[in-house]
Amino acid sequence: MTTMTGKLSAAPEHLTRRPNVLRQMWTSRADYLYVLPAIVVMLVVIAYPIYYTIDLSFFKTPPGLQLRDKIFVGVDNYGAILSSEVFWKVTLNTVIWTIASTMIAFVLGFGAALALHRDFAGRAILRAILIIPWVISAVAASYIWKWIYHSDFGVLGAVLVQFGFLDRQPNFIDNVNSVLPSLIVVNIWREFPFAMIMLMAGLQTVPDQLLRAAKVDGASAWQRFWHVTFPHLRGVSTVTILLLAVANFNSFIIPWIMTGGGPSNASHIWITHIYELAFGRQRWGVAAAYSVLLFIILMVLGYFYVRALSGNESKEHGA
Amino acid sequence: MSNYPLGRALARGACVSALAVSMMSTSVFGQSVDLSKWSPEYVRSIAGTETYNTAEQCGAVTPLDYKGKLTFWYQGVFEGDPDLLRQYYKDFFAAFRETYPNIDLQEQALTYNDLLDKFRTALLGNAGPMVVRLQILGGVEFASKGYLQELKPEDVGWKTEDFWPGAMKSVMWEGKAYGIPTNNETMAFIWNADIFEKAGLDPETPPATWDEVVEYSKKIHDELGIAGYGLVARKNAGNTPYRFMPQLWAYGGGVFDEADANPNYGEIRLDSPESIRALQASYDMYVRDQSVPVSALTNQQADNQPLFLAGQVAMMISHPSDYNVMLDLQAKATGADKETAQTVIDNMRYGLIPTGPDGKRAVVFGGSNIHILNPEYVEGGEVDEAAAKAMVCFWTSPEWSLKMAYAGSNPGNLNGFKTEWMKQRLDSIKFLDVTTSMLPYGIPFPTLPETPEIMNIIIPDMLQNALTGAMTVEEAAADAAQKVRDVTDGGGL
Repeated sequence: MTTMTGKLSAAPEHLTRRPNVLRQMWTSRADYLYVLPAIVVMLVVIAYPIYYTIDLSFFKTPPGLQLRDKIFVGVDNYGAILSSEVFWKVTLNTVIWTIASTMIAFVLGFGAALALHRDFAGRAILRAILIIPWVISAVAASYIWKWIYHSDFGVLGAVLVQFGFLDRQPNFIDNVNSVLPSLIVVNIWREFPFAMIMLMAGLQTVPDQLLRAAKVDGASAWQRFWHVTFPHLRGVSTVTILLLAVANFNSFIIPWIMTGGGPSNASHIWITHIYELAFGRQRWGVAAAYSVLLFIILMVLGYFYVRALSGNESKEHGA
Repeated sequence: MSNYPLGRALARGACVSALAVSMMSTSVFGQSVDLSKWSPEYVRSIAGTETYNTAEQCGAVTPLDYKGKLTFWYQGVFEGDPDLLRQYYKDFFAAFRETYPNIDLQEQALTYNDLLDKFRTALLGNAGPMVVRLQILGGVEFASKGYLQELKPEDVGWKTEDFWPGAMKSVMWEGKAYGIPTNNETMAFIWNADIFEKAGLDPETPPATWDEVVEYSKKIHDELGIAGYGLVARKNAGNTPYRFMPQLWAYGGGVFDEADANPNYGEIRLDSPESIRALQASYDMYVRDQSVPVSALTNQQADNQPLFLAGQVAMMISHPSDYNVMLDLQAKATGADKETAQTVIDNMRYGLIPTGPDGKRAVVFGGSNIHILNPEYVEGGEVDEAAAKAMVCFWTSPEWSLKMAYAGSNPGNLNGFKTEWMKQRLDSIKFLDVTTSMLPYGIPFPTLPETPEIMNIIIPDMLQNALTGAMTVEEAAADAAQKVRDVTDGGGL
């Protein structure tokens, strides 16, 4: 009886919590109304495609059949992907592409931000010049770089030969070993201004009095950077790295236009391979399964991004 | 080698064999022109012998005062085409609007490499156009899926006999026609006589066999330090199969048995000794002799054209229109470049595509076809049949199928060869007779839904795997054969 009473006495507490949530929602109904259009749009353009992609990933779509006649194959597409040699090659390419592009762009951007944070003659002009790669169209940049790298008549190769660094035109993008690093250089060239801008904004938030105080206390330039500047940039650095990583995972234009994933799949990354599977080969089911895997990885990165943002906010509030 | 499921292969074989026989034969009865007499002289003899009134003929299909609406996508001109062709495209749409002033035409041009991707995507959303003009290898894929309406020349006032039998084969699926050929093309072998002479070769004699192409390419590279042959091996680009398949067939190889008199696509031959020999020839030029552009793996033919004009490539396979392209490019050049370009143009020669070791000569029977879609896949769910037929009739007429192929191709409607414009064309387009002479050697791509993937992805992949050293020649051929096996069985990644 006592036990029963105990259970009964616990029940009202649980039940009273639910109406409270509903009541709160009702009380804030105007707020929900304001965000309703955004939620509807998100459901239509984000939630439904995600659902459809997941659904499609369980079907086979042979070239001779319409999509509506697709054949249910369970998790076979996932099995085919994971057991495919190409998948692991493309995955390795994607990891190298993402990590190298992200980290080097970040480091270069950081260096440029620190340099441009100081006051010197021509700083504004230099800043404008360094931003050019980021504002230029990725498609145009890809075509320009394709000709810069051209294996027979590329400007870069010609300059290297002219100055005696090489005795013949180097092969940048028609070689399985050099194509990915060559494309990563283009990607870094395009992305480092973004890191630079983010970190320049971050540097504005470093309190000047702290730096002056550290100087008065005899801290060296490196100590001032490491103990004062860098801790203040940790939040913006995390966000910048995560944004770059997500952008690089999804980066399509540069590898697709410059090499189409070739030669011999050496510059295929996930997103270009997914595109080729879907639109070039009509393997919609396999491409959907691939996309689901990519989605999961990006969601994990997204989680860390949100956590980093929340961490920054709570630190700011705490301060 | 592996086989298709037997029943499927037999069914396909039965459907295509009768048409294939007619394609491979030069003696076809009932044609508007006598294909058994086909030669440059015969083409000249019939040019200008007939007059046609397009408006009158198409007016009998769709009244000229018909009021309607039409959406139309087509494979249009791109950076590699001459300016002359751009003008004809403008003239065509102006003439159509003038002839059918009450048809609200919304046309959209797409490049060769983009059209299939965009069209496939649109169809998935039931947002296709009413009429589409596709590259020759695309039609069967869409017909097999039920996207296209049955459509034969008689539906728009022409006769089936007015079109190349090989071209008609490319619009057939399970014994029914789903489109009409607009133009047909066979490429030719182009060389720079000046470079030949400097390299110690006979300037007026092109290589007779593919083995000689390899030999000449090496000699030119060794003597002059420039690329001999303009190899193209980029993936996802139609240029690659159009240039490699003639080589593959000449050596006696093939993807299937498409080069045989009675193909049934039942046998995969990409890993046959003959196919391996053809691939070896490309390997020898790219890897062993390094006598072709290093950039071949990322190049399309449009990238080779300026190299040829700059005197940096001595031989290539292309259309007669490349001569006009060179003239266009030369007009834009300045200073010393202009002189160099002029020298190249003066020394530009066209010849038949080389043969294989056994004397077999082959070329891709290319071109485009025009199709009408089933209403459920069209944006808005309706097809204006009369307007659609007006467009199909107009483009496939003797006049416009010739004019729209003026510099680069040949009219789909054989009666185009009899028009006054053909006569003008023979006088103004240099080397046209060489490419028309290649038509009887034309081999159509396999009429299978899987063909676009095989030609645009698997064949270039095979070349790239061999040329980059990622695989040996034998491994690359075996890998490609396995991929074809997988794709025809509905599997693979």
